[in-house]
Amino acid sequence: MNLLPLIVVFPMFVAIIFNYLNGKDKLIRPMAFLMALLLLVLPFIGNYGIYNFGAHGLESGLASGISYIYSPMKQLIITVLMLIGSLVLITGLDEKKSSGLTVALMLMGLASVSAVILADDLFNIYVFYEIAAIAQTGLVIASGTEKAYRSAFRYLLLGNFAGSILLLGVAFLLSATGTLNISDMHNFLINNPVTPTIYGGLLMIIIGLCYDSGLPPFHTVKADIYARAKPFIAAMLQTYSKFVLVALMLVIFKIFGGLSYFTNAHGALIAISILGMVFGVVMALLQTDYRKLLAYHAISQGGYVAAGIALGTPLGIVAGIFHAINHVIYKSALFIGAHLVERKKVGNLNALGGLLPVIPTTALMVLCAKLAISGVPPFNGFQSKLLLAEAAMNVNMPELAIIMIMVSIGTFVSMMKAFYLIYLKPCSEDQLNEYKKVKPSKFGIFSLAVLTVLCILLGVYPNLATDLIYPFANEFGRMWTL
Amino acid sequence: MDLQLASFITAGILIVIGLYGTFFVDNVIKKIIALSALGNGVNLTLIAIGYTGGIVPIKAQEMELALFSMSASYPLPQALVLTNIVIEASMLAIMLGLSIVFYKKYKTLKSSELLKDD
Repeated sequence: MNLLPLIVVFPMFVAIIFNYLNGKDKLIRPMAFLMALLLLVLPFIGNYGIYNFGAHGLESGLASGISYIYSPMKQLIITVLMLIGSLVLITGLDEKKSSGLTVALMLMGLASVSAVILADDLFNIYVFYEIAAIAQTGLVIASGTEKAYRSAFRYLLLGNFAGSILLLGVAFLLSATGTLNISDMHNFLINNPVTPTIYGGLLMIIIGLCYDSGLPPFHTVKADIYARAKPFIAAMLQTYSKFVLVALMLVIFKIFGGLSYFTNAHGALIAISILGMVFGVVMALLQTDYRKLLAYHAISQGGYVAAGIALGTPLGIVAGIFHAINHVIYKSALFIGAHLVERKKVGNLNALGGLLPVIPTTALMVLCAKLAISGVPPFNGFQSKLLLAEAAMNVNMPELAIIMIMVSIGTFVSMMKAFYLIYLKPCSEDQLNEYKKVKPSKFGIFSLAVLTVLCILLGVYPNLATDLIYPFANEFGRMWTL
Repeated sequence: MDLQLASFITAGILIVIGLYGTFFVDNVIKKIIALSALGNGVNLTLIAIGYTGGIVPIKAQEMELALFSMSASYPLPQALVLTNIVIEASMLAIMLGLSIVFYKKYKTLKSSELLKDD
């Protein structure tokens, strides 16, 4: 029996239950722990292939209902998504006051991002894209500060605008092709001449992509919500964004890939990715707030992912998807590390220092994650950045590879600066005693340890992930050079 | 004027008003109203796309299937609009809720003061 829809339906249903349990702390903690375990099983309950449901299924070769497509590559992405969700839920068990609403929003986000990854029709993607935006806003509001409210409002304001533009793009493509099914839409486009409506639809879908994945011009508003949410929740938010970025990029390639007029869009997508990489790392270098520093690095790494997939070659797609997976792992480790530091009642980089003797294990694991994001071997970030540079060289774009290396150097500098200021900078005896009074979070350290092991594991054995992505990329990517 | 063309023109006007209000009006409530206009413009575009000048897509028992499929409007955009209205309502509700919080706290609704970078 194929239980594929349960990947979306089950977390959504449990989210409703958690919503009603809000305030009942004693019940929420064990249930959240149970849910954290169940999430790990979800990616394995569906069979590979096309799953049609609703309406009349397949009629004269055209899908009239909702179609989900499941493949080993999608299973890998959803497994990582659920793993991060599970670890974030476990980290949250240490919070003084458990909020059922936060868990509900987190599950709603997990369900909607899974649906965006699985769906093969544009409207389903649009609906869950919007639900993911609402869940992300709710998670930012849940941190309860005035700054968080402002960030959430700004995010929603642009979200409503970008969502409407995305839907207008969907409407344009519907009017040009008469279908919303992505596979059918591609088949229509390769057999019919291009019209201005199709160009308009493509442009509007790219605007929607930029908003939800934090690419320019929406990078500041996205960085803002990462910085204003609680750090362990920001780990979840950036995971949503990266996987929505991968899903939407693949949708664009699936609809327009191989069409002669798509060559210009390749260039535009690569340009946006480069801007994201450079803006992100420059802004990160300027930050004195640790959360904001991490937030801008998330934007910068999003640029890497987009650049890889935008290359459109099999190697580029593998590198982009592999980097997205690596990124969510080490960036979640960094955000959870920030959560453990914030428990010591400090946030601003300039006010920190001397934490190495207080939390040595955390410091070591965070250092591993920092080296991973900087692309230092033998961590996972090195493997995917190497693949990305190789993919850029293969399409005769050495300048892109050089920019990637320069951004990596910038990342290394800002990460090492942050590590020095938090863990190594000398601090007063009084401050040290103050830090020692706060009890360490066992759940947070457990989550951090799991993510660090994954950073090393994927760094030493990248084939564990890339072998699952290559068959999809070989079928999907196209060879081209400038 | 052709009803479909008139709908497209109205939708275009709504979208332009919505875009202008979202980015250039300095009041959060007016911004929300503008976003609502933008959303309605997009919904009207979708409805106009599905409109073929025929009958509503509800098949009466006595109607022949061939005749129905030739004359009925395309129902898919209507289903999309229905879903979109629900999504948009929930987004606008959250924004209005936040506006109430802002007003209680700061006694103003000027977006230049409320939404400035920290």
